[in-house]
Amino acid sequence: MKLEVKNIKKTFGDTEVLHDISFEVSNGKALGLLGRNGAGKTTTIRVIMDVFHADSGELLLDGKKFTQKQHLIGYLPEERGLYPKKTVIEQLVYLGRLRGISKSVAINNSKKWLRRLEVDQYENRKLETLSKGNAQKVQLASTLVCDPDIVILDEPFSGLDPVNSKILQDVVQELIDSDKLVIFSSHQMSYVENFCKDIAIIDNGKLVLSGNLIEIKKKFGEKQLVLSPMDGNLDKLEQIIHTKLSDFIVPTGRTKEDIIIKCVKDISRKELLAQILECDIEIEHFETYKPSLNDIFVATVGDEENNIKQTKMTGGTV
Amino acid sequence: MKKFSVVFMYELKNYIQNKSYMVSTIVIAVLLAAIMFLPRVIDMSGMLGDSTSTSSPTQDSVEENEDVNQSSENVGNLLIYDKSGVFGDLSLVKSAFYNYTIQTKNSKEDIEEAVKNSDDTIGFVVNSMTEYDYYVNNSSMYDSNCDIFNNLLITANQIKFCQDNGLDYEKSISYFYPDIKSNKNVLGKDMSNNYTYCYILIIFIFMIIILYGVMVATSVTQEKSNRTIEVLITSSNTNVLFFGKVFAGAVAALFQTALILGATIISYQINRDAWNGILDFVLDIPSEVLITFAFFGLGGFLFYTFIYGAVGALVSKTEDINKSSGGIQMIIMIVYFAVLVQLSNIDGIVMKVASWLPISSYSAMFARVAMGNVAMWEIVVSLVILIVSIIGVGFLGAAIYRMGTLRYGNPIKLSNAIKAIKNNK
Repeated sequence: MKLEVKNIKKTFGDTEVLHDISFEVSNGKALGLLGRNGAGKTTTIRVIMDVFHADSGELLLDGKKFTQKQHLIGYLPEERGLYPKKTVIEQLVYLGRLRGISKSVAINNSKKWLRRLEVDQYENRKLETLSKGNAQKVQLASTLVCDPDIVILDEPFSGLDPVNSKILQDVVQELIDSDKLVIFSSHQMSYVENFCKDIAIIDNGKLVLSGNLIEIKKKFGEKQLVLSPMDGNLDKLEQIIHTKLSDFIVPTGRTKEDIIIKCVKDISRKELLAQILECDIEIEHFETYKPSLNDIFVATVGDEENNIKQTKMTGGTV
Repeated sequence: MKKFSVVFMYELKNYIQNKSYMVSTIVIAVLLAAIMFLPRVIDMSGMLGDSTSTSSPTQDSVEENEDVNQSSENVGNLLIYDKSGVFGDLSLVKSAFYNYTIQTKNSKEDIEEAVKNSDDTIGFVVNSMTEYDYYVNNSSMYDSNCDIFNNLLITANQIKFCQDNGLDYEKSISYFYPDIKSNKNVLGKDMSNNYTYCYILIIFIFMIIILYGVMVATSVTQEKSNRTIEVLITSSNTNVLFFGKVFAGAVAALFQTALILGATIISYQINRDAWNGILDFVLDIPSEVLITFAFFGLGGFLFYTFIYGAVGALVSKTEDINKSSGGIQMIIMIVYFAVLVQLSNIDGIVMKVASWLPISSYSAMFARVAMGNVAMWEIVVSLVILIVSIIGVGFLGAAIYRMGTLRYGNPIKLSNAIKAIKNNK
């Protein structure tokens, strides 16, 4: 199963909020939809879910027009919402049946997911009596109660404590392992990095980066290395790079302990290391730069001012 | 259809599980049914009359009643200043104002002074055979003393005329006012009989529409305010959700109405003899009127409930419902008053027009069926117009429900909603 999002445009009033968004995702894989606040992730998801109609573009499933109501989709919206005055089991069964499964299957699936998410003790409690975290797990159970083929999760980890996040991580991994098609939006890059083989980064309604995460990381780390001095003085090291090694390398960013450099000349690692050691500095760390998703994200969507701030905070590249 | 029944049953269950709904329905039904059994348990002959005799009252019984009346409690003082001695020994006045203590006064001022200082004292200054002044401190809405006194003066004039012309007053009166016996045979509809239950049914359907309309609107708005709506519209078709919700409200209303009306009417029919048929004018509703009421009442209910549902989708806070439903409530109120006022002119142009319009046919048409002249084809065409309008309003409401999804914040104007639907956004 392959879902293709092709050239989606969406306008609210006079403002075009999505400009030609395109990406694709297949079953057994998860696509991480990334972007800053207000970038257009949720709008993209809502277009996929037919909450909003796209002005142009198309959605295809296995090459055919994607009609949402003809498929079992588990959708966890960004704005969580269930019936606060109803019992947990009552609304799970209702939502399951609304998506077309029988009452007995809905009851069994509800119990299964409540147990899996460790909230089965609240089965007969009214939702309003549950904590926010448990209510969110019930919401996730309602998303999965119909045993969907396509799972779309908008910020699933927001509001969860580390223990509940771990449960959710395991559940998402199980969904991917059971060959579901998963689309996933999150600000927590580590989760996306864990689950998603593909990513799509949206900035100001435009798709700025998409593709296989390993390939993207490889591309971002191409010809880049990490250097760290024994004395930990990164400023001194950077100055030496500028004054004595500028024919070979340029600094491209910093982490807390390292300087990231890029080779500007075709030079082997052995030769480069020899040049560095000639500069009378003791090197503690010399290796290939492996960018984190966070580094890639900040480098892709952060503006200059923001980049600096975020780099300082997270130790990412500029 | 399967999903419709899922939504319908879920929403209906919400009503049934609502304790106040069930308790109020059962309590009202049981209470009204119990009231209908009262004459079997307690002696209500004072109110209902002798249940063993249904014959018309005889002259003796009239006189007996008069005696009973004349022994009634004293209600106050009647002061009279008869300037020209029109009433002589005041026996005429005493017979008419039997429950007053009659006192004579010698001046207008004495009467004014006494009346001013007492709420249960009235006064008359008789100036001539055809003129008098009436004095009362606070006049009640139902003060009929002038009418009684007018008749007294007329009688006094008649007696004087007979005396002046050597006529026997009693004989003359029997000629002027002979006993007329009449039998009324209503071959069509008796408006005076049907008026009361029409009036009550119009009030009843009005209350049901307002009550359940607001309940459906609240139910829709709550789905927006608790953010359930996004999950719902991505799980099922909007028409299914909206129609299921409104039809569940209709069935809940129908159940409540049927239970309360049914319990009351059946209990009354069981105890009709004990009631001496006294409530026939309210509860002996002809079946054709009940059937018309059921069709048009249900139709009108659905018509307005769909609108209320759409209104619920225009707002995102339940406290905004009243603000947004003001227009529709105004229409319902106007229809309600117009139909009630026009009940006495049932075949007039206003009722004819009202019985064709979907906004008013729910009450006007069944009133015409009960009290006026209406052809079968008119009923059928009006019902068809109502059904088509319900379907139209239903789909428009569902489109507004869909459009209103995720539009939180200030209430959306209906015109903007329709514009947005046209633009398909």
